[in-house]
Amino acid sequence: MQREEKQLDSALEAIIMRVNDLKTAIAAMIFKLEHEYETLNWPNFLDNFALISGHLTSLSKILGNDKAPIMRNLAVLPLLLSPEKDEDLMRLTECRISTFAHDLVPDYLRTKPEPQAEQKMMQLEVKANNLSYDTAHDCNKQVTQYNKVLSHVWDIANKAREEWEGEAGSRATQAQTSSAADTHVLVAAVGVGKGLKSDSVQMVQSGVSPVPSGMMVGRSGGQPQAAGQGPLGNAQMGQMGKTPSAIKTNIKAASQIHPYGR
Amino acid sequence: MFTVRTRIKIPPRAINAHRRPIIYIKHRTMAAPISTAMDSLSAALKSNIIPNQEYLLQGSVLDSAVEVLLHRLRGLCDNVDSGPETFHDHEMCFSIRRGPPPEQPLLLRVRRALDYQDMPWQLRYIGQPELGDKSRPTIVRSSIDIATSNSVVEFLTELGCRLDFEYIVRGYMFRKGRMKVTVSKIFKMGQGKLPESVEPISQSYLVELSVLAPSGQDAIAEDMRIFAEQLRPLVQLEKIDYKRLVH
Amino acid sequence: MGVTVLQQFPMTENRTGPQTIEFLTKRIVALGAVQTGQFLVDCETYMSVPQLGVQKTVHVLHNSEQPASVFAVLESGSKVVPLIADGLFDLLMLKMTSIYTSKKQTKIESKGPRFEIGDFCVKLGSVTMSQNFKGVLVEVEYRPCVVPGSAWDLMREFLQGFIGSVVPNQAPQYLQNRMNDIYQPMDTIQQYLEHFGQYRKTTGVI
Repeated sequence: MQREEKQLDSALEAIIMRVNDLKTAIAAMIFKLEHEYETLNWPNFLDNFALISGHLTSLSKILGNDKAPIMRNLAVLPLLLSPEKDEDLMRLTECRISTFAHDLVPDYLRTKPEPQAEQKMMQLEVKANNLSYDTAHDCNKQVTQYNKVLSHVWDIANKAREEWEGEAGSRATQAQTSSAADTHVLVAAVGVGKGLKSDSVQMVQSGVSPVPSGMMVGRSGGQPQAAGQGPLGNAQMGQMGKTPSAIKTNIKAASQIHPYGR
Repeated sequence: MFTVRTRIKIPPRAINAHRRPIIYIKHRTMAAPISTAMDSLSAALKSNIIPNQEYLLQGSVLDSAVEVLLHRLRGLCDNVDSGPETFHDHEMCFSIRRGPPPEQPLLLRVRRALDYQDMPWQLRYIGQPELGDKSRPTIVRSSIDIATSNSVVEFLTELGCRLDFEYIVRGYMFRKGRMKVTVSKIFKMGQGKLPESVEPISQSYLVELSVLAPSGQDAIAEDMRIFAEQLRPLVQLEKIDYKRLVH
Repeated sequence: MGVTVLQQFPMTENRTGPQTIEFLTKRIVALGAVQTGQFLVDCETYMSVPQLGVQKTVHVLHNSEQPASVFAVLESGSKVVPLIADGLFDLLMLKMTSIYTSKKQTKIESKGPRFEIGDFCVKLGSVTMSQNFKGVLVEVEYRPCVVPGSAWDLMREFLQGFIGSVVPNQAPQYLQNRMNDIYQPMDTIQQYLEHFGQYRKTTGVI
């Protein structure tokens, strides 16, 4: 029994804390509304709302917790009513309630709606249940009509999307604006003279055939490797190693000349 | 008393696109001892103000799409009002080596403007391109860019250089801050010297994005990567591996 | 930029190099010249390595009058090819050290005060080769004129009045060959190179 009471105490404490949080948040918002209404902007205001709703959520979480005692099973019993001012109560409620009198207690301790309000709700519920078939039919008609309009708009949007995508697709296929092969041809040409060296120019003109390559190898091989040869001979020796690749480029270069009709 | 000496130098429009800020101008006082050019050069080297590194990205664009690219570059680059600058150059690539291979040749390039014949010629040393790892956005190669008189070809020839190859390059140049973009057509030299006898070597334009900067300014490479990104997918500007091209 | 003539000033036993310069300075200032700073022309010579075949020589010169330019003169057999480049050419020569090596001990320069007197610009250079004093070289430039043939007589008169009878009546051979050409900065460089060559061949007091 004692354990349960302890649990109840701690739960109440937690709830009171949350409620206090909620109260301060609301107070802050009211303060803002009253004192900063000139400078207050909408996002700021919404932030306050978010804060309050956050507090509400955490409060309802505590109430809904499995371990929390079921509050509705507990009753609050007013033991003493008095029309006299009660200083303790004033202090506890921040001067909001000054007396614990018979005319105020039912309002403060109420756990159900007021009878008048309850009655009004009952009336509305009855009215809703008794909606005639005709009005419901009317409603349905509106719904179908609305659906029709919506599906029409949906169709239009879909069609536009298809067109859009088709266009983008066709653009992607024709989007070939650069060619990696051409990049390599150009960079090799300006970088290392591939296809530009004077030997290869002659080869292109004499028609591309593997014969010149043999000639070239023969020639450079035939050069005596004299020390006093000078840079010319040396450089040609250096070229010997890359001869085959030069020929390959020439074939490419020659085939590329034709489309220009020159 | 300050005297700024006359400079015989070379009008500021260096050959076509390859402008370079003037590096140092001497101001002298009577009291100050005169320093040799070599001293000034080593001081400039030491304080690292000589732009001797080239950051480079390369790509190409098909002839059919070049108009679109030029249009886009016009929008992206600095010289919007004046439009792109055109150039028409002749480039000759020389090499000189101390001895037979494996002795590495020294590569030198000479470039002259065919459309502005009285402009200085450009002599250029280009070092081995460094690809670096994936994290490096561009090729980096050392580069010395020298404006010279028109006797440079004869000078190089007599120096012992051999003309490896030559070509005609014609196109457009754009600027974006320190970056330079060239869109150019490469032509093979015709046998005759007539301009009509040149033939394009490809049905694409070569596109190059480059910056010449003092060494160590690697931040510029990142700017280049971002700029290159803006030209995709029209042009794919990439680090091209020269070693792969040779073999 | 005008026509420029170089004249070696004969050294005498009783005067050192600095004293000679001082002597000439007094003389030119007495004529009404105003000193306008210092000048410097230097020359470094590079030789090709034997593997390259025939010996070639590249002289690289700087003139403080054209501080952004480098002048190179290539001698290959009987051929002489001049080249004017900007300052980075020196960097290129550094790249070529495996093919062209500098002969440091022949590094030569002419350095001294620079004067202006009317239309003339006069430079009194003491020539030193690897820190050794070689002689005094006087440069006179007549600035309003660029054709040597038209300027020579005036310049000779000025030079003779200033230096004395060592100045010959005939223009130097280099100028005689191009009396009617337009004078260029490269011509000054070529004249310096000729004189530097002579100094390199001799040693000590002339």
